[in-house]
This record gives sequence, C-alpha cells and structure tokens, in this order.
Amino acid sequence: MEMFNYYIKLSVRNLIRNRLFFILMISTLAVGVGVFLANIAIIKSMSADPIPHKSDKIFNVSLNVWPLDNSDAELLEIMRYDDAMHILKNDIATHTMVHYQSQVYTRDINSKNLTRHQAVVRATTPEFFPLTDAPFAFGGVWQQDYAKQIVIGDTLNQQVFGGGNSVGKVLEIDGKPFEIVGVLKPWELKPLFYNASFGQKFAKTDDIYAPIETALDSEWAIALRSMSSERINSVSDNRGKNGFFIQAFVQLENQQQKNAMQEYIDNYSQYRKAQGEFLRANDNRLLDVNQWLTHQKVVDERMLAFALASSLFLAVCIFNASSLLLARYHSARFETGLRRAVGARIKDVFYQGVVESMLIGLCCAVLTLIFGWLFLQISITLFPALQQTSDIDITLILMGIGIALITSFISMLYPLIRSCRTPLSTTLK
Amino acid sequence: MLNMKNISRIYRSDTIQTHALRDFNLEVKEGEFVAVTGPSGSGKSTFLNVAGLLDSFDEGSYELDGVNIKGLNDDELSRLRNEKIGFIFQNYNLIPDFNLFDNIDMPLRYRGFNAAERKRRITHALEQVGLASRANYLPSQLSGGQQQRVAIARALAGEPKILLADEPTGNLDSLMARQVMELLHSLNEAGSTIIMVTHDPEQARAVGRNVQVIDGQITDHSVYAPSHDNTSIVVSV
Ligand SMILES: Nc1ncnc2c1ncn2[C@@H]1O[C@H](COP(=O)(O)OP(=O)(O)OP(=O)(O)O)[C@@H](O)[C@H]1O
Ligand SMILES: [Mg+2]
Repeated sequence: MEMFNYYIKLSVRNLIRNRLFFILMISTLAVGVGVFLANIAIIKSMSADPIPHKSDKIFNVSLNVWPLDNSDAELLEIMRYDDAMHILKNDIATHTMVHYQSQVYTRDINSKNLTRHQAVVRATTPEFFPLTDAPFAFGGVWQQDYAKQIVIGDTLNQQVFGGGNSVGKVLEIDGKPFEIVGVLKPWELKPLFYNASFGQKFAKTDDIYAPIETALDSEWAIALRSMSSERINSVSDNRGKNGFFIQAFVQLENQQQKNAMQEYIDNYSQYRKAQGEFLRANDNRLLDVNQWLTHQKVVDERMLAFALASSLFLAVCIFNASSLLLARYHSARFETGLRRAVGARIKDVFYQGVVESMLIGLCCAVLTLIFGWLFLQISITLFPALQQTSDIDITLILMGIGIALITSFISMLYPLIRSCRTPLSTTLK
Repeated sequence: MLNMKNISRIYRSDTIQTHALRDFNLEVKEGEFVAVTGPSGSGKSTFLNVAGLLDSFDEGSYELDGVNIKGLNDDELSRLRNEKIGFIFQNYNLIPDFNLFDNIDMPLRYRGFNAAERKRRITHALEQVGLASRANYLPSQLSGGQQQRVAIARALAGEPKILLADEPTGNLDSLMARQVMELLHSLNEAGSTIIMVTHDPEQARAVGRNVQVIDGQITDHSVYAPSHDNTSIVVSV
C-alpha cells in the first residue's frame, strides 16, 4: 500500500512535470476513444431490442400481395385494406393489430389559443396497445371501430393540456372534434419497431392513436410508404381497392401458434390466387421483431462502415500515444536506471508504469466522456435522424472509462516493457 | 566480502567482440579501501558494474558477502543491490526535481522501511555528509561537491556492506574533490568497505590498497601503506 502511494506520488509528479506532453498524449487517446464511444452509442441504441421480453413473440406479417407478376420484387410489408381486415379476423394470434401512419394538425377545442400542433397519428386497432405494451396513464382504448375517440401520448398531452388526466377532453383535429378516452404515460420504444420502414425507425412514439376506420373516414393522409395499382380518389376510397399502405403485426406465443398463423396467411394467399390475384409465388412471411428490424436495416450500413473507420482511428491514436510514450520513456531511462541501481526490481518499475498508465487512463476517461458527448452532439447536428439514438447511459459511461483505461494501458505496455529491458550498465555514468 | 574468480565479460555486437574483462580475479576483504586505476577503456567501469550487479558476466564465479551471484534472478539481484551495495557515480545521478530528502529516500522505499525508519536513516545519512540542514534543497541549489556528498548519503542510507564509486571526483575541482575523498576516508575508518575507480594517482596512493586494470585484467596487486591517517589534507565540510 505504501508502495502504491509512492507510485501514485511519482506518477503525479511525472504528469505535472511533463504536463504538455501528457496533455497531448491524453488528448490523442481521448479523441480516439471518444469517437469510438460516440459511434458505439449510436450503434448500440440502433441495434437495441425495443421490446426484449416479447420481441420473439411479435411478428410482422408480410403478404405476397402485389397483384402483378413481378417475380423479383422484394418482400412487401404493406398490404391493402381488405388484406388487413382478413388478418384482423384471425382467431389464432393472442393480439393482432394493423396500422398506418398519418399526420394532422390539432388543438384543444376549448382553448382560446388558435395555435395548432402538428401531430403524428397512428391509425390502428385496439390490440395495438396490449401488443406493444403501450402504458396507459388514464382511461383506455376506444370501444367501437368507427368511434370519434382517440388515445393521446404524453408529449401531446403536455403540449396541449399541460399534462394531467385529459380523459373526456376534446381535441380538434383538422377541424373536427374527437373525444379523448385514454392518455399514455411517457413511452419510449427504440427503435419504433412497428414503424421501422423508410427512415422512421427512430421516430418518437406517436401523439395520437385513432381507430383506423375513423382515420380513413376522416381522410387522414397516409404518411408512410404507400403504393397502388389503380386509381384511388381519396383515403377512404382505399377500402376494397388495390391501395397498399397498412402494416400488420401479430403476437404469437409459440411455434404451434406461429405455424397456424402461417397456414392462415398462406390459405388466404391461395384463395386470392384462385381469384386471379397474387401472381407471385407464395412468400408470406412472419418475421419477429429482431428479424424484422434486421430486414429493415435498422443499423445503417454507413454506420457500420463508420464504426470500422473509428476503430481504425482508435488504433492509430493508440500507436500514436505509444510512440509518444516510447520517446518519453527513452528520455526517462536515466531515472529508471537509477531506480534499478538502488534496488528497484523490474517488477517495481513495471508496477510504477502500470500505476502511471492507470492515472493517465483516468484523465483520459474524463476527457473521453467529454469528447464522446461532443462527437455525439456533432453527429446529431449533422444527421438529425440520429436524434433518437443519442443515448449515453451508465453502461456506456462505464464502457468509456474501461476503454480509456485499457487503451492507455495498451499504449503504455510496449514502451514500458522496453524501458524495463534497458540494460542497466549503459544508462548510468 | 567480495570475491571474483576468473570473471570474464564479453560485449558482443554483430561484428566485434570486446573482452571488457578476462580472467579477472579480485578478493576484497571487509573494511578495505581499494583504489582501481588503469588506462581508459581497460575495463574499470565494467568491473564495477559487474561487482555492483548492474551488469552480468559470462564466465567465472562471483561471491558477494557470502552470496554466490551466479544464477540469481532479477528479484534476488535487486534485493542484493538494495541491501548490500551503495553506488557513487561520477555524475552524482541525483533526480533534479527531488529534494535531497526524496533523493535519499529512493533506495529506502524499495527496502520497504516505514516512514519513521526512512526519516531516521535519511537524517542520519545527511548528518554523516554534513548536509543535515539542507534536506529540502534541490540538487541544483548545491555545489558539485555537495551534490556528490548527497549521492554518498544516498548510498549510505541503506547501510550497505560495500560502497562502489566510479570516479567520484571526476567532475569536481580539486578542493571539492578533497572534501569528498576525506568523507570517503572517514567512512572507511568507520568500517565501510569501499572500491573506488580513479584516474588520480595521488588519490590512489592515499588509499589502503591499489589494483590496476589493464586490458580487462588485474595486473598489479601492489599494496601501499595506508597514508590517510596522517593526511595533510585539510577539509572543511
Ligand atoms: N555496453 C557496452 N557495449 C560494448 N562495449 C562496451 C560496453 N561497455 C564498455 N564496452 C567496452 O568495454 C571496454 C571497457 O570499458 P570500460 O567502460 O569498462 O572502460 P573504463 O576502464 O571504465 O574506461 P574509462 O576510464 O574511460 O572510464 C571498452 O573497450 C569499451 O568500449
Ligand atoms: Mg569508466
């Protein structure tokens, strides 16, 4: 212990005596680790499992519904109103929900303030809530398919009503009144798996949840991917036509249920084929949440390339710090030689170096966290889409400290070994 | 105390081999003061480095204070260096940003003494070399002779069996050299065994025993009568 204190004292003296050198070296390492950490932070939250306790039970339903014979077409995750209704009718899944996304302008109908808030609408079906574990703070879900009733998210509730129990209040949406029957608690879902197509993976949870029939009748526009193979005059005109815009998810508890569901959608596909549709081969798929997110390339490939680049950059920083240290140890050879001559063992010299590297590592860790945070902010400024992935949590902070300690130890190792190996008789005169 | 038999030390590089020591034999008894002289490049420093366990040897046997050196590992060698040997270098080799106290403290740290014991020994060593009042000075605030005395204090603090000095006065003017020599003589009188490499024949003559190294071998065992006890050198410390 006394030796440890002595090493600390020597290291502190060393750092202070060579402060310019160490500031340079520590910054070099910290920049490297910081970039790396920011990158890890982004990838980590990108590839996070949004709903870990049941991600293997929730499945996206992709039907092979495209009406044309286009055999190399990709898997289609959007379906027609009629297909969605057929899937809703199944009595196999624990929960089934279909949805599309819309955007509206809304305000408190009783407010004197005429400002309207832009709001994202999830036009969906009641089992959306149990399937996604959406947490209710007040009230519950609508009871009728065509009800002029909605559930709102916490953010909108704060914005419009300043929070609190808003059940029973009325929102004006695009000029028409809708009664609030439920309010959600603050709710995060990263990635927003049910919305994972088309760059919307890291959107916030929605502002308004409305019955899908109501949304169609209200002509709330389709805000995510949609396609059609015939002329469709309005949003509500989609019923019975070849407009593709609805996504479907089911919760299946076991393989039996999954097989049954697969059979259910395959049968449906066969039936449609018999009617002259579904010209492509049967390729109806049930992808669980993680398969689905992978399929939607939730971790951006550019990010992975960047990760590779940032690890190489980190390696360069380590080499750099290492060569700086090599030079410094060379100039500290005299003192090392002297210590050995008066009785320090190679071990003692090594331990002292390790203590010093840990001290450097700690300084580096502090800087790393600052740099890491900065790089993350810069990334977000450059790529606003990363906004929702900007989490630095405690594991990441610990990881940053760990990496900083390890890299400083690695950078120190070779110079230290070299310095321990210096023959004694040549260093002292 | 020190017994070397047929020691050889060969420096090998890609192209040349240098026999820095060959068939080197020397026995030094406890309490002796030995002056080592010889031409430049003859192997004096090599001998001192081998004797002080700073360098290895290729052949022969070496016994220090009853311990056979051959085959000892780094831990054991370091411990012997720490406990039995005190080095005095031509360049003093003090750490410039440590004060005298911390410089002398260094070998004691590796000995594992507690703070009180270290302090006692440091104070005593500084007293021995007449610098007790300057424990907090930096080496740069001292003259060359004083710095060398600090180096001697550092060597003494561990109460070694033997002091090894490589041209301890090589960097000093004659007055300061005398002071240092006087200190070494008084230490020897108090019982220290000392081996000193020197280029100064006068210094050598003032010492109990002279050996000469030529071409890596001891060639002269002439023993001079001790003359330091009737020295005419006046020392003011
Ligand atoms: N590390 C080394 N590598 C190779 N050769 C060496 C090394 N150290 C010493 N030598 C050689 O060994 C021989 C003896 O050197 P040493 O330093 O012992 O001489 P010296 O008697 O101390 O000389 P001086 O009086 O100049 O200090 C010399 O020829 C020297 O070149
Ligand atoms: Mg020499």
